[in-house]
Amino acid sequence: MINTNNLTKQYGDHIALDRLNLNIEQGEIYCLLGANGAGKTTTINLLLGFIQPTSGSAFINQLNVQENQKKSKRFLAYIPENLMLYPTLSAVENLRYFSGIGGKEFSIDELEGFLTEAGLQKEAHHKRIASFSKGMRQKVGIAIALAKDAKVLLLDEPTSGLDPKASNEFGQLLQTLKNKGVAILMATHDLFRAKEVATTIGIMKEGKLKQEFTAKDITLQQLEEVYLNTMDYKQLVP
Amino acid sequence: MIRQTFLKEIKELLRDGRPRIALIIVGLLLLVAVWISARQYENTNAQYEIAKQTERGIWDGQSDKNPHSAAHFGTYAFKPKYPLSLLDQGVDKYAGVSIFLEAHNRNEAQFSAATDQTGLARFGDLTPDFILLFLVPLLIVLLGFNTFTKEGELGTLALLRSSTVPTWKLVLGKWMALFIPVLIISLILFGLAGAILSSLKDYGVFEWSSLFMMLLVYLLYYVIFINLVMVISFLSKRSGISLVTSLSIWILTCLAVPKIASTVAEQKYPYPTRQVFEAEVLQDKKSGLDGHNPWSKEAKLLEQKVLAEYKVDSLHQLPFNFDAYRMQKGEEHEAEVYFKHYKFLKEQYNNQSLVYQNLAVISPFLPTRFLSMAIAHTDYGTHWDFSDAAEKYRVATQKFLNDDFAKNSSYGDWSYRADASKWATLPPFEYQPSKLKAVLSQNATHFLILGIWTVLSFGVLFVTAKRI
Repeated sequence: MINTNNLTKQYGDHIALDRLNLNIEQGEIYCLLGANGAGKTTTINLLLGFIQPTSGSAFINQLNVQENQKKSKRFLAYIPENLMLYPTLSAVENLRYFSGIGGKEFSIDELEGFLTEAGLQKEAHHKRIASFSKGMRQKVGIAIALAKDAKVLLLDEPTSGLDPKASNEFGQLLQTLKNKGVAILMATHDLFRAKEVATTIGIMKEGKLKQEFTAKDITLQQLEEVYLNTMDYKQLVP
Repeated sequence: MIRQTFLKEIKELLRDGRPRIALIIVGLLLLVAVWISARQYENTNAQYEIAKQTERGIWDGQSDKNPHSAAHFGTYAFKPKYPLSLLDQGVDKYAGVSIFLEAHNRNEAQFSAATDQTGLARFGDLTPDFILLFLVPLLIVLLGFNTFTKEGELGTLALLRSSTVPTWKLVLGKWMALFIPVLIISLILFGLAGAILSSLKDYGVFEWSSLFMMLLVYLLYYVIFINLVMVISFLSKRSGISLVTSLSIWILTCLAVPKIASTVAEQKYPYPTRQVFEAEVLQDKKSGLDGHNPWSKEAKLLEQKVLAEYKVDSLHQLPFNFDAYRMQKGEEHEAEVYFKHYKFLKEQYNNQSLVYQNLAVISPFLPTRFLSMAIAHTDYGTHWDFSDAAEKYRVATQKFLNDDFAKNSSYGDWSYRADASKWATLPPFEYQPSKLKAVLSQNATHFLILGIWTVLSFGVLFVTAKRI
């Protein structure tokens, strides 16, 4: 569902992404780990078509993103790191707007259904987003993806700034989407959450995918060790 | 998608306290300004009617007297207040409302409203044109400065970019959310003005077509501002930067450029001072025939010419009063002198107008201001036209009186008295300003510049927004 083929992005002499090859199937959660500047967000931006690759190609549902920007966007939903949404509109109104511009009209009941499915409490459905925590806003973001019936979900640092409970709830939501067959690519620093939700984990450094392994084959401790080794942080660990 | 974006933006505007308060304040100010102007308009027109009738009564009520005495007695030409001055008072306040018409002299319009006001008038009046020209664009800045920047700040830009919504639909939805409130405010104001003016049957001829054309001019002006504010919002990284940049454009366009234009125009094509102007007129007058001086060289030459023309030896043998004839010829010479000097003033005015036109390239305020005043008949062009019409009437009046004097008396007969009924036969002064079609034709360049601004601003907006 998500594929990259030697995907490369270069800014002048700086290689932001170096020949990345990814293959994420339906019902798979792929967590990209890495320090700031490792190339995680560049990967997501290339998959969204926000930037053009220097070489290589990216595919969403077998559609070349660069050649089929509009078509490929029909299948994907995206939740950025700082999703504030429109603060003076309610959760339902935000959801209705983003569904509407995607060409989908829903009744209030249907919109509330998506919000409930995304884990947002009923009493918050008609409250203005301005009073929402980041976790609640993320749930509205998930509801937008549900309403869009997205086959692919791209997440950029979705759990940063979330408290453990909210982060846990978010992880459960991702599992629900995974079970629905959604292919999820999540860029994160959160090793714990990555280990908990991911099917596959990749570690990036300086634009290159350095490590890739199945999440169930590795413990959290091993993951941390591999990560630190990859990042050359080992000497900092006592 | 356009509808959804429009409705979303409107909801945001209405729920955010700042634009709501700004909208309410501008709306209230407009209503107050229209109310004040409507009262002023009624009062001024009532005064105009009273003054016109009273002055005509004084003229008609003169007793038996020599026509040249009546010419020196003089009368007034009053400039009417036109219906659309309710919306745009233009230069009316400074231009004077009446011209004293007398023998030998072309007088300036006097009794301008500004001279009747205290020094506090320097702070300006609350008039509809002030709100239309200055405050509504400011409102557009306040409503639209963050139309795009907020999307980046709220993280929604990424959601929009990741959706399939075409950019032009998004931009059009946002554009409509700025245009529709401004359109509603404008329609309320112009509708109200139309309702007031069409109910005042006694004062001037109100034409809906002129009101509609004025509305169109202002809407084009607002469209340009909306486009500029949206472009700035799109190019700015933060709302704060966008607000400051938009406000700077507003200051430059509405405040700085008109003042710069005025300074440049005055420096490049200055009017002579009153003293210089009057001295030059006097000098030219002296170089020709003085109707009151029968001993001057010019008078003697005229005498010889007329005697030869009528093949008589004495002025007493002429079939008319040569004194009156000479005075008429003197009037004609003076009228030519005034025509020459006022022509120069008018040329300076036209040259200054060209400077304004050229600077309109950097400010849509200027063509809007000039078109609005021209349609309202409150511009300098109309004032010039009125002044010329009054002068034409003055010259015709002098001829009417001198001809009567010449026809009904003989040379040296200064005791001649025209009958009191004579004065009422002088046709009254009537002035009709140019029709809308002629006004638009005279101001075609301003319309063209405004049109170019509109098209270019739309072009820049859509080219810029493509980068979304």
